[in-house]
Amino acid sequence: MRIEKNRDRFVETAIDDEIVIMRLDTGSFFSLSDTAAAIWRLIDGTRNEDVIVSQLQRDFAGNGATIGRDVQEFVSELTEMGLLASD
Amino acid sequence: MASELMMERETQVAFGPVPHSLAGDELGDTSWQMKDEQFLLRGEGDHYFLYRKGHGITVERGATADLSEEALWLNGSVYAAIASINGLLPIHASAVAHGGEVFAFTGPAGAGKSTLAAGLAQHGLPMFCDDTLILDLSDPDRIVCLPGHKRLKLTANALVLTGAEREEQVSSTVSKSYARPIAGTVDVALPLGELIFLEEASDIEFDRITGGERLARLQDDHYTADLFASARRFDRAAHFAHLSRLARQIRMTAFHRPFDPERFGEGLSAAARHIKDAACAH
Repeated sequence: MRIEKNRDRFVETAIDDEIVIMRLDTGSFFSLSDTAAAIWRLIDGTRNEDVIVSQLQRDFAGNGATIGRDVQEFVSELTEMGLLASD
Repeated sequence: MASELMMERETQVAFGPVPHSLAGDELGDTSWQMKDEQFLLRGEGDHYFLYRKGHGITVERGATADLSEEALWLNGSVYAAIASINGLLPIHASAVAHGGEVFAFTGPAGAGKSTLAAGLAQHGLPMFCDDTLILDLSDPDRIVCLPGHKRLKLTANALVLTGAEREEQVSSTVSKSYARPIAGTVDVALPLGELIFLEEASDIEFDRITGGERLARLQDDHYTADLFASARRFDRAAHFAHLSRLARQIRMTAFHRPFDPERFGEGLSAAARHIKDAACAH
């Protein structure tokens, strides 16, 4: 399933190497760095979880299972917040 | 500079009766209302300050007005509201100038902003502003600071620590005195070099603030932030865009030091070194 951002639910900005996201429903914001920021950048509405994991493995030379788990948790958490959707 | 001239024009004071409400309810003591580019503040008793964009300030002095507080209201909330209504951002900071830039200290009340800025005169750094720093955001590529409009105010202890020249007491209810910093003051607009957050710690050190923390640090609960938010009527997205711009453009540092008068000189020397090094590096 492709993952896409619900762009009407948040605003974002890049500061140094981090991405700061503000939820428009609550006004709360949080910051993404390192792998989380990389996952966020790769979510463009065309990639699914497997493609994102493969790309991260190439970029970070990390363990596939660990990266897979990170992506799954990230997508699940931000989907729960309403910031991501899968089709 | 256009912003300085605008503020000079908009802060002209006249005296006379003013409405006691802009939005239905009568104002209580020391409260304010803002509506349609107008700002109404009530000081202690029946002392009212009305600002209308393009018309300056009108002060109504009723029988119970405390006139010793008038300059404080005019230079405090009224000035910050006028700046905000006209697109300038007031922030809670005291600052010095060096190398053609402004280095501003911010932190909660009692953190030592004024004392540090005034004390840096001992290292040859002139004062730029006390308590409120007005930022001109009209140039998208840089942030420019307007020279301070308030006189320096210091406690008796701070006068001793800084060596500033004592002048008269601020008012009958404020124990601080006005003071003159020994290296003088700068009265021209300058770009903002760095915003330095004052924090208490046992060791003296500087830490660069990076990433999302830069934006988080700008979440200010000082009254100047409320005035700006009311004047700009930002929705959440616009407020975030505003903070994002500031976070990207303002260099920020945390200055950790003990709040101990015995070690004030040590902290002062460290701050002077930091500012001089930073100015050379820019």
